[in-house]
Amino acid sequence: MSNQSETMGRIGGDEKGPESGDLMDRRGFITAVVGVVGACYAAAIGYPVYRYLASPVEEAMAAGAVKEVTLPKEAMDLPQNSALMFKFGTRPALLIRHEDGTYTAMSAICTHLGCTVTYEPDQKRVFCPCHSGVYDAVSGKNVAGPPPHPLERYEVEIRDGQIIVRRS
Amino acid sequence: MNYPVWNVPYIGSGLVIGIVAIVHVLVSHFAIGGGLFLYLTEKKALREGREDWLKRLPGYSKFFLVLTGVVGAMTGVGIWFSIGLANPAGTSTLIHNFVFGWATEWVIFLVELSLAAAYYYTWGRLPSGVHVRLGLLYAVSSFLTLVIINGILTFKLTPSSAWLSVAGTGKEAEHFFEAFFNPTYWPSLALRTLVCISMGGVMSLVFFSRLDSEKEGEVKRGLIRWASLWLLPAFVFMPICFIWYLSMVPESQRELLSLGISTIGVGAFTQVTRLTLIAILTTATIVGVVYFLAFLYPRDFEFGHAIAVLLLAFLATAATEGAREMLRKPYIIFDYMYSNGTLKSAVGKCNEEGYMVHSPWKINEGMFESGNLRGSLVMELGRQMFLGQCVSCHTVDGYRSMRDFLYDRDETAIGNILAMMRKTGEGSPYSKFMPPLVGTDEEIDALKKYLVSLTSPSKGKGVMEVTSGERELQGIVKGN
Amino acid sequence: MGKLLSEEVKERKSGAVARIYQWVDERLGLSEVIELAKKKEVPEHRHSFWYYWGGITLFLFLVMCVTGVLLLVYYRPGDEAYESVRQITYDIKFGWLIRSTHSWAANLMIGAAFVHMFSAFFMRAYRKPREFTWWSGLVLLILAMVFGFSGYLLPMDELAYFATKVGLSIPAVIPVLGPWVADIIRGGPEITGFTVSRFFALHVVILPALFIPILIFHLILVQKHGMSVPDGEAKDVRTIPFFPNFAMRDLAIWLITLNVLALLAALFPWKLGAPADPLKPAPMDIHPEWYFMSSFQMLKIFGQLFPGAVGEFLGLAVFTLGLVLWFLIPFFDPKTEGGLRARATMYFGLFVLGVLVITTIWGYWALPSTK
Repeated sequence: MSNQSETMGRIGGDEKGPESGDLMDRRGFITAVVGVVGACYAAAIGYPVYRYLASPVEEAMAAGAVKEVTLPKEAMDLPQNSALMFKFGTRPALLIRHEDGTYTAMSAICTHLGCTVTYEPDQKRVFCPCHSGVYDAVSGKNVAGPPPHPLERYEVEIRDGQIIVRRS
Repeated sequence: MNYPVWNVPYIGSGLVIGIVAIVHVLVSHFAIGGGLFLYLTEKKALREGREDWLKRLPGYSKFFLVLTGVVGAMTGVGIWFSIGLANPAGTSTLIHNFVFGWATEWVIFLVELSLAAAYYYTWGRLPSGVHVRLGLLYAVSSFLTLVIINGILTFKLTPSSAWLSVAGTGKEAEHFFEAFFNPTYWPSLALRTLVCISMGGVMSLVFFSRLDSEKEGEVKRGLIRWASLWLLPAFVFMPICFIWYLSMVPESQRELLSLGISTIGVGAFTQVTRLTLIAILTTATIVGVVYFLAFLYPRDFEFGHAIAVLLLAFLATAATEGAREMLRKPYIIFDYMYSNGTLKSAVGKCNEEGYMVHSPWKINEGMFESGNLRGSLVMELGRQMFLGQCVSCHTVDGYRSMRDFLYDRDETAIGNILAMMRKTGEGSPYSKFMPPLVGTDEEIDALKKYLVSLTSPSKGKGVMEVTSGERELQGIVKGN
Repeated sequence: MGKLLSEEVKERKSGAVARIYQWVDERLGLSEVIELAKKKEVPEHRHSFWYYWGGITLFLFLVMCVTGVLLLVYYRPGDEAYESVRQITYDIKFGWLIRSTHSWAANLMIGAAFVHMFSAFFMRAYRKPREFTWWSGLVLLILAMVFGFSGYLLPMDELAYFATKVGLSIPAVIPVLGPWVADIIRGGPEITGFTVSRFFALHVVILPALFIPILIFHLILVQKHGMSVPDGEAKDVRTIPFFPNFAMRDLAIWLITLNVLALLAALFPWKLGAPADPLKPAPMDIHPEWYFMSSFQMLKIFGQLFPGAVGEFLGLAVFTLGLVLWFLIPFFDPKTEGGLRARATMYFGLFVLGVLVITTIWGYWALPSTK
């Protein structure tokens, strides 16, 4: 019990010593520091929680923000049975030119775990190297491996010698 | 592949550097912050006539001398050994550019060590004014070592455009100062100075927590309070300096930070985000713990508490240094040399002429027949490709294990992955974090055959099939 | 005592914050609570370390509540369960972090509760007048384990499916009633979307409704009786005020706990296996969560000693008997300082602890190797 009053007394800072004159200043300063640290904590916890809750909103905004993309003129020179990666908004997408000269555009994000898929000319299929997921190169349908859904397909239109990809 | 490969099983050579370096970072930052602490504390004690403080300082200065002189110096040399072995190409580039800088640092280091010893042995033998000034001299010289090494450390992430424009031409020395005082130099110096001051506080907490709360209560209260105040500047200015630092980091590397937000699915490459999260949280925890335990109740602050703070500091250091290193992916020297030692400019040449073709370590037909090597020559070539291009980050069965990652993939799947890894830019999702795979088709094929030998096809079938999803996920996460 | 703190409050009364504080204080009596908290004393001795474990458990429970509510935002029970957890883990921003934190906090909480229970046992904190604290604590631990069991199924991945299947075979060995009980819990003869819905209702409504009142009861009792002082330290023990000294230390420990939790959740994120498929063979190394490992292994041992349903029933009976004895300890060892019964109790505690540790290790060791 003997040291209680002393322990309590220590909260206010040193009662002795030369710095006791600016006791209030120091207390204010320490309060501010504790505030900064508290804010640091709040940010480290609050930020993930906010992003977590706002996720569907962001998703919808991102989906709504970009409706169509005009590919550079060089895309017209794409050889048959080959593919080109481009960005649809912020997300990677794939433009495939089939052997019959037709085009297919689809999202390049694997529906399994979000890796980027590639087109394999020798097997004429869309392949995800992360877990060997396979999609149909024309329809984007998931045909083998772990992917649960087909890839999202976009509409392709050729206008004024340029390829325009748009969300259907 | 101009150098032999140091293949450390299970943990990988990178982690060896990591373990040595984290201890070194803790102790060397203490060497700077603690020096300043000794100087300012002695000065304060003299000015305020605190005899009881002065009595405890020689003991502290002995602890300081032993810790920094032995552990600090040993781990410093340890870093030299390990980086030279783990990444000889990168180390050689650094030496060629900064040989003068390093020579200067070593001279200062000798001065620093001598001053630390002189400071300890002259307690009570010199007039107090002179002794205080000796302390100041030590603090300044130890800070100068940071001033120098910081230039070389930050160079790796931001080598400056001036240096990059002449890199590989032999005229790099003309841009010594641009490379040294590179874009992240000043924010990094500010951040590290703040860490030094905090480490001075943390180690002082450890030392003075052993004072007896009953018999030496008054001294303990004063010193613990004073030491805990040393953590304040860091935590006020750290966020600002951190933002300043990030603003100087190239955009492409800053993107790595936000990668881990959405998912662990691309998980492989999301460690930077996760480490940064831990670093921020741990830093805040240290301040919280020091405030609640040490500052409010300095007398009740015990050695165990201090060790808890020290462990947290260790954790924060490990997380920050780890994040800083990973922020540079896929380079060892940004935009110049990849983490496996391949030069960015040499990618085309390696693809054309072959990766192993100029290597003095290449095993050829003749050596193969006369030696005792097992397996086929192709397998041996594949193994050497693996050693040359993969083991600077991966191990076979341990840290970022290849066996876990490959799991039950067949030859086609591995071939597809390798084909993708040869691409650069948008063509390969891996190109943001991994060096492109280089070599001729024949060499890549040999690597594929070697990798196939690491797979475990039977595991993916039959009764174990159900967990394969999980195992592969682990592979991805570990395979970072 | 506490002069400076009240002075501090007075000094601040000039500001707007102080006026708000006063307004609230006049209506709710906050000062009385603070005054009461300041009068409370916590003994300080070389075993004080163990006092923090109850607080750690409580803190982790709070983390579970917060992260649990956050998961509830996106989780959908029933047939969509797996898909919704897949979305949380791979699509929703930071979803992996919330889920990992929830899972890690669950494991750490049960671990901390075990430490808390055994420290209370060996410090003989169950003695008069704290019998009800001991009993309510035991009920809380059992409920926490049911929490864990029901939560484990919710993602409906392969591991969850088979672990639950194995787990539900335990009540099935009760004679006569067993199979019926198991069917009721499952909502059918097999684990389906119905089972998930049931477990979900249990996990987020029924268990919290039981747990929280008992927790409050437990905490009120702790406040009422104060900390128990172990035998050896009883004479002339030093104390520190609960508020602010002990509370501040508690807060520091909570910060460290949170940090450890964040570290585990961020560096070792909880994985999601392949979706559950009853037609596939069970993985060889299927096993329950670590806190059920001991009972799982004991059932296996008894099953081997006495073949057939008898063995499993015996195992269950022995386990139940042990639990009953553990409950009744306050009656066996009421207040005999250093006496024969006190020693017998200690040996019993060491025996129980030993059996739990050994069977758990044995259980993991006996798993079919996956390498």
